Amino acid sequence: MDWETVIGLEVHVQLGTRTKMFCACRTTFGDPPNTNVCPTCLGLPGALPVPNAEAVRLGVRAAMALGCTVHPASVFARKNYFYPDLPKGYQISQFDQPLATGGRVAFESPQRGRIEVGVTRLHLEEDAGKLLHDRFPGKTAVDLNRAGTPLAEIVSEPDLRTPAEARAYLVTLRQILVYAGVSDCSMERGSLRVDANLSIRRPGAAELGTKAEVKNLNSFANVERALEAERERQIGLAGRGERMAQVTLLFNAGTGEVRPLRSKEESHDYRYFPDPDLPPLVLAPEWIARARAALPELPDARRARFELAFGLAAYDARVLTSEAALAEYYESVVAAGVEPKIAANWVMGDVMTTYNETGAFPVEAGRLASLVALVREGVVSHQAAKRVYTELARSPREVPRAAAERLGLIQVSDQGALAGWVDEVLAAHPAEVARYRGGEAKLMGFFVGQVMKRSQGKADPKGVQPVLQEKLG
Amino acid sequence: MSAAAVARAAGERLAAADAAGLNATLHWSQPLLDAEAARVDAMPAPGSLAAVPLAVKDNIVTTDMPTTCASRILEGYVSPYEATAIRRLRAAGALVAAKANMDEFAMGSSTEHSAFGRVRHPLDPDRVPGGSSGGSAALVAAGVVPAALGSETGGSVRQPASFCGVVGVKPSYGRVSRFGLVAFGSSLDCISAFGRTVDDAARVLSAMSGHDPLDGTTLDRPAMPVPEALPDLRGLRIGLPKEYFPPDLHPGVAAAMQRTRAVVRELGAELVEVSLPHSAYAVPTYYVVAPAEAAANLARYDGVRYGQRRVGPAGDIHALYQATRGEGFGPEVQRRILVGTYVLSAGYYDAYYRKAQRVRALIAGDFRRAFDSGIDLLLTPTTPTPAFRAGEKTDDPVAMYLADIFVCAVSLAGLPALSLPVGRSDGLPVGAQLIAPFFEDERLLAAAGALERSVAADAEVR
Amino acid sequence: MSIGRDEVVHVARLAELAVHDADLDRLVEQLNRIVDYVAQLDRVPGDGAGELFLPGPREVALREDVPGPVPLTRPPGELAPEFADGFFLVPRHGAMEEP
Repeated sequence: MDWETVIGLEVHVQLGTRTKMFCACRTTFGDPPNTNVCPTCLGLPGALPVPNAEAVRLGVRAAMALGCTVHPASVFARKNYFYPDLPKGYQISQFDQPLATGGRVAFESPQRGRIEVGVTRLHLEEDAGKLLHDRFPGKTAVDLNRAGTPLAEIVSEPDLRTPAEARAYLVTLRQILVYAGVSDCSMERGSLRVDANLSIRRPGAAELGTKAEVKNLNSFANVERALEAERERQIGLAGRGERMAQVTLLFNAGTGEVRPLRSKEESHDYRYFPDPDLPPLVLAPEWIARARAALPELPDARRARFELAFGLAAYDARVLTSEAALAEYYESVVAAGVEPKIAANWVMGDVMTTYNETGAFPVEAGRLASLVALVREGVVSHQAAKRVYTELARSPREVPRAAAERLGLIQVSDQGALAGWVDEVLAAHPAEVARYRGGEAKLMGFFVGQVMKRSQGKADPKGVQPVLQEKLG
Repeated sequence: MSAAAVARAAGERLAAADAAGLNATLHWSQPLLDAEAARVDAMPAPGSLAAVPLAVKDNIVTTDMPTTCASRILEGYVSPYEATAIRRLRAAGALVAAKANMDEFAMGSSTEHSAFGRVRHPLDPDRVPGGSSGGSAALVAAGVVPAALGSETGGSVRQPASFCGVVGVKPSYGRVSRFGLVAFGSSLDCISAFGRTVDDAARVLSAMSGHDPLDGTTLDRPAMPVPEALPDLRGLRIGLPKEYFPPDLHPGVAAAMQRTRAVVRELGAELVEVSLPHSAYAVPTYYVVAPAEAAANLARYDGVRYGQRRVGPAGDIHALYQATRGEGFGPEVQRRILVGTYVLSAGYYDAYYRKAQRVRALIAGDFRRAFDSGIDLLLTPTTPTPAFRAGEKTDDPVAMYLADIFVCAVSLAGLPALSLPVGRSDGLPVGAQLIAPFFEDERLLAAAGALERSVAADAEVR
Repeated sequence: MSIGRDEVVHVARLAELAVHDADLDRLVEQLNRIVDYVAQLDRVPGDGAGELFLPGPREVALREDVPGPVPLTRPPGELAPEFADGFFLVPRHGAMEEP
């Protein structure tokens, strides 16, 4: 029997602010426990919240990047529940009047090609603290440094149909948010967290099946694995004719299994109501317009522009726009005068290798352009240029020509020098010389290669062949 | 007189009040008072409240004395930060002399709901001083301090001011920062002032008032200047809302109000009957809105980060929460938390909370219409009766709530209002309430100053 | 409308308040009195929809993203009922339901 899988994702993204959502404590990661705390984020008696303007700005930017409608008025609400990591006994979130609704994310589905997934809503809220269960015997330890960190919660429509598609959505979502400068979206540091809802139904059914929520997904790969496990579990239940209970599950990355959490019906009665400490968040139309104007170019638009403006292949454009920093570097190399396709080869080659290793572009665009010019002018060979690049990455102030000279990589086209290397090569390979003279013309390539090798790449390959022909003729 | 001398005299009066069994203070000490005095005497310039000793309701946080909200759950808690209002008062030269007893978490109208014993009425120990700011009211009425801080959520300063025969002023919502006022009903809470006179209370309010970047519900306007009392009330139209003068009003209160009306007329004001029809629903509206907000505001007392902790036999986190809160909160606080949780819970939100919000808007709309029609101030009794006997209403929560029937609507509407003593009935003070439009606190105080001069507050009415 | 015993127990659990069996009947009676009293709001015409009433500012004022919290005169460890190595401690509750 066939089943259709229906998946929706809730993504929490930490907004890249210096201070918390409702107080001026730092959001620094990894400080000693309970050091970035104040009356407000400790929930002390009498303390009050005041929202962070930058968090609002970044939330609005995220919403715009995801094509959402940003509402001119939204309301902070209290979500009431008890938990030791929640200092006030309620989380300040947004409920029936969120910051933004109705967006979409377009991406390549591994199964369905290019699709669009709806973004139901994006709202602002504060994070909870952190609990450590294994540090003190019989105790749970509470660290409130993270409590109050600003988050955007991004809820997708249940438009995803496979675990792999869910993963592809997440990759695109992260790319957009990082591009827009909203968040660093690091799952390792917890600045991007995913909860997934999954249900199954008969293909063509209009109703959604009973859904399960899967939590504790700490990588995109694990989102896919957990959803696959949960899909199998539900299909198994359905096959045995068992009823699906609405359940919350934890994914165990070690075993690849999902395990139900103990569930209590009242834990879902959050008694939301507007937070009386916070009047509505009102965004003037001019403010929204300015925010829209300040929105950076997003991956899709940039990719299209790269294909059109630089004549790049679709694949190259996709790679070069995969990250904003990479795309910007590429554009600056082109702006420095390098022909777009040659620039693409460089950036996708050596530059990207360095970037992936170091996260930086140590050879600024101007220096790379000079290096490319040396190749074009025949001053260094392409092979030698790659060595010069490595050297330039190590010595930030050296100009390409000086580096090439220091390394002795300037191409030699002087006839005397070339003749010397040719003589040495011919003397070292008498057998090949005999075979060439016996009619094996294809050995010319071999001799050129040997001369390049002997000259340590310095010989101008265009000058080598005539000398060889003369000496062998 | 030096602050040091003031502090010694205040200490003697506090000790005498304690010895007399008023039970109006929760914390004070002579060494702390002397330290306050030394600080004030060292100030380069005397502030507007130089060497004025103040009692502070124990739900406003101070770093030198505990802040318990008269609750077991906060017994011994000393705040690691200070309320904005306290910082401003100290900067104006005031001496923070004592923390005053109150109804637990400001929930009550008689100060019988303190975990540390009820406060006695200064004129009759068998009666209540009103509440929830009963300790502050009693200390001013007993002449221990010239002024004191209370807090209002639904009349908790005006009502005890009326019972005790002192001035009690609730400013406009958003005029005084709530930062450091332990939250009860956040959309209603206002730090408010008691004084022997309108001017005492006005000076305290002025020093505390003004925008505070730490409280997003303060209005971005400058501090309130201390207004001059008007010479008379000529040119003012004063509204008498008919719903606030019911036929069953206590005869002493009715007589005092009749005399007050006569004085107001003699002072040149025009008296106009008006109607505030939705004020009839103020108490039920209040008893949905305030408990709902309180249920969330009091969730933070969970025994995890501060305050008292108890752990039940099961030994798990729920046992910790439930024992800490079940034993730490008194019965009235628990009732309100339960009501507040109930009215917000799934299936009841619309019927109670949303409905109450709508009625609240109607109540506020009545006031706005009255003021828009050319009324400058409203005049009503503050309470339906003078101070009642201790124990009279403790078994019936709703009867206790009705003690606030004339003060609740103003709180819901966020308006400035005060209670002024206007006479005595069988020896017990009776207060009249003046209400002004939003942010017309100065008009309120200036007019009250005129009335205060002309009314025989200590005279028995018939 | 009236609140039954089960409902009171449910609400007490939501509010994390221990209610002893001995007190329950009296509590049910008192809560019913309060709820019956506030139920008179039904008599006010209107469908329950309506604007949120704001006693103070119409819109929230935002804070610039500059570090500088209100300082604590005493550290968290001095406030806490149980504290070790910089952490607040509570009984282990790994099995507690996630919010």
